[in-house]
Amino acid sequence: MKALIEYIARSLVEHPEQVEVRTRRAGRRVVVELRVAKPDMGRVVGRHGRVANAMRALLRVAAERENKLASLDIIEP
Amino acid sequence: MEERTTLEVIAPTVEQAIADGLAQLGLPADAVTVEVLDSGSKGFLGLGGRQVRIRLTVKAPSVETPPVSEAEAEEVVEQTEGEKEEDERVLHLAREVVTTLLKYMHVDARVFVSFGEASGNHPAPVRVDIRGQDLGVLIGRRSETINALQFIVGVIVSKEVGRKVLVLVDVEGYRERREQQLRRLARRMAEQAVKTGRRQILEPMPPNERRIIHLELRDHPHVRTVSIGEEPHRKVTIEPKESHP
Repeated sequence: MKALIEYIARSLVEHPEQVEVRTRRAGRRVVVELRVAKPDMGRVVGRHGRVANAMRALLRVAAERENKLASLDIIEP
Repeated sequence: MEERTTLEVIAPTVEQAIADGLAQLGLPADAVTVEVLDSGSKGFLGLGGRQVRIRLTVKAPSVETPPVSEAEAEEVVEQTEGEKEEDERVLHLAREVVTTLLKYMHVDARVFVSFGEASGNHPAPVRVDIRGQDLGVLIGRRSETINALQFIVGVIVSKEVGRKVLVLVDVEGYRERREQQLRRLARRMAEQAVKTGRRQILEPMPPNERRIIHLELRDHPHVRTVSIGEEPHRKVTIEPKESHP
């Protein structure tokens, strides 16, 4: 799950070295936290949150396969 | 069937990859040369192994290959080396991106890439065909997952190439099946609208699916279609043209 979000985010931003992904777990629930450089926020959120929502849809598949429930938080720098 | 010069295939074994590739190209084994790009690895207990990756290159047209029309032959000749390299780079990249995403999503599947047909001023879209067992998980409720995958791949490939590249992702022929299903639904609901004289409201659908409904009923003499609501809950309504108060 972490690798999936890291890969997508690094592919989209101008500063891949500043992409940071952490996961917090509570049982079956996993919160994936994504941090990127400030000017890259728009690139990982997208117009009307389209990129973020697409990442969430793919993350859901990855999580299901591990029998987990995942959510994605994009954290403002 | 469109002309293609090379095709990259991923499969568990070299034999499987060659067989898949030939089936996709519709060519006999002696019409292509095979290059093994990655011979794969076993992985631990069948997990985490890398699949085999091969490239099939179609040999120069010979008597065995299907005849190419004059116009098509002309076009192939006119494509410069640089353009050909660029095309291959785009295809390779698209396949790479999809393969990587599927790996991280823990989905085991084979990925085929090719160029679709160019329409008007638009360059040919990249078609990504994902094949394998139990891939319903890649389609998702209301096509949400397949559309998310298509969108993300399009954005990544476009960024990498430095221009807008249209990427179309299909999973086991789903798009075609869904289109037929939507067109049937459109006709049925139009009939219902005419019969009852009342507006019919369809389920929420993504833009590409709403478009199929609008197009199917565009020339219908007795109904008109209007989309209402906000994404992602936007839905098509079908209403009778003449209102009888």
